[in-house]
Amino acid sequence: MSEWGWVAFAYGVAYGSLAVYATSIAIRIRNARKSIGDAE
Amino acid sequence: MEPQVRIRRWPWVVIALSLAVAFTLSMISPADSVQGDLVRIMYVHVPSAWLAYTAFFVTFVGSVAYLVTKNLKWDRIAAASAEIGVYFTGLALSLGMIWAKPTWGVWWTWDARLTFTFIMFFVYLGYLALRRTTDDPIARASRSSVLGVLGAIQIPLVHFSVVWWRTLHQPPSLIKPDGPAIQDPLMLTALIIGVIAFTVVYVALMVKRIELIHLDERRLQIEQSIERPVAGEAVTAPELGAT
Amino acid sequence: MITGFWHQVRAVVDRDLLRERRQGDMLWITIPFGAIALLLIPLAIGTDAVLLREIGPGMYWVIVMLFGVLVAVSRASRETLPQQDASALLGLDPAAGFVGRTVSSAIFLLIFEAVVGIVAIGLYDISIIGIGWLALTLLLVAAGLALLGTLTAAIVNSSSAGTALVPLLVAPLSVPLLLGATQTYDGLQGGYGILSWVLLMVAVVLVVAIIGVLTARPLQET
Repeated sequence: MSEWGWVAFAYGVAYGSLAVYATSIAIRIRNARKSIGDAE
Repeated sequence: MEPQVRIRRWPWVVIALSLAVAFTLSMISPADSVQGDLVRIMYVHVPSAWLAYTAFFVTFVGSVAYLVTKNLKWDRIAAASAEIGVYFTGLALSLGMIWAKPTWGVWWTWDARLTFTFIMFFVYLGYLALRRTTDDPIARASRSSVLGVLGAIQIPLVHFSVVWWRTLHQPPSLIKPDGPAIQDPLMLTALIIGVIAFTVVYVALMVKRIELIHLDERRLQIEQSIERPVAGEAVTAPELGAT
Repeated sequence: MITGFWHQVRAVVDRDLLRERRQGDMLWITIPFGAIALLLIPLAIGTDAVLLREIGPGMYWVIVMLFGVLVAVSRASRETLPQQDASALLGLDPAAGFVGRTVSSAIFLLIFEAVVGIVAIGLYDISIIGIGWLALTLLLVAAGLALLGTLTAAIVNSSSAGTALVPLLVAPLSVPLLLGATQTYDGLQGGYGILSWVLLMVAVVLVVAIIGVLTARPLQET
């Protein structure tokens, strides 16, 4: 793998996982709000 | 009724903007004379590692503050920071390995800092696992804050032990080039902006994560207040003497 | 009614030792299991005498570490909520309870270390230099593991999933003890200074003891 290949791999891991983590928080927030809304 | 949990949208915007700035700078900064373009991995690896330590320090502060004040606010901060810290620790380790493979030829070396960070990762994984074992906010807060304090105080000892272990008797198994020597002002800028941008991302994630803890507590409260059908409810007492 | 801190500690230790005498799960289960583990390693990696002599001490300490966790696990599964409530109603000082449980765990661990140590010396032909320092190391490791295990058991209990969590919590925090013990052994063999390792283990014991005593009450209250 070329140097840029490794860099792309690293940035994919970093930014990709950040996106996944942020999305997971967003989804959990939405689900929690929905279930509160349902209950109230 | 507790007040509604405030939902903020700005953290998402802040996260996107700071990451965009950090990414642009790390791409336009020049390649290193020794490491070439691989140096760019440092612009995400160093900030992640910095946040791993910072986040766990915040967990420690939150745990101590909870034990002293018994205010659940501190426990929420400690919990949110621990989860984000575990994420950044995992990220820093992965990025370190991705950098090490092309640089040193191996994914992993028993370097003191690597070994120590890996152990720290498990300590806080245990912290998160502990929090999942109970729903009661008070019990969870006091138990996990004791673990937060124990972990944070033990960590320097773990650190010393691992550093001594690597430096005292065993010769380094690899000849390693040092980390990047900063030659260009743009490289230093990329690194510093990277650290700042990731710190801002951490703060924004904290805001959202604490929001989520509030919502979960609220959800639990509502669930417990709802009256559920109880087994045997359909059975009515026999009417005696109604002949 | 029991009065006086050390009387209470004594009472807790006596209770634990009595339970062990009746049930014998330490003596008849944990110790044989540890000895079997020492037997399994050469089966898996080969029976070269030189190699075994080299890895023997390290394997011994790893097994002490991993099985020390078992003592904490059984501790966590025994200290149930009703039992804690009963102790609290009897007026047992939570700190005395912590110290007492730690002392009895440390006694179990010392017995474990001694028996498994003899098996290890026999199977791996381990050489012993500096018996006084080694005895101190055994004592410090037993105390450190007992403290970590007792504190962790107190942190997780009252939660059903908690018992399974004990190994994950204890293992990473016991790294300084593992390194201290193995490096002290190596130092004695090679004639290096070992004082810093011994002091490190002492520091671990002191730190965990202080945290355990200070947090005993808040942990019992919830």
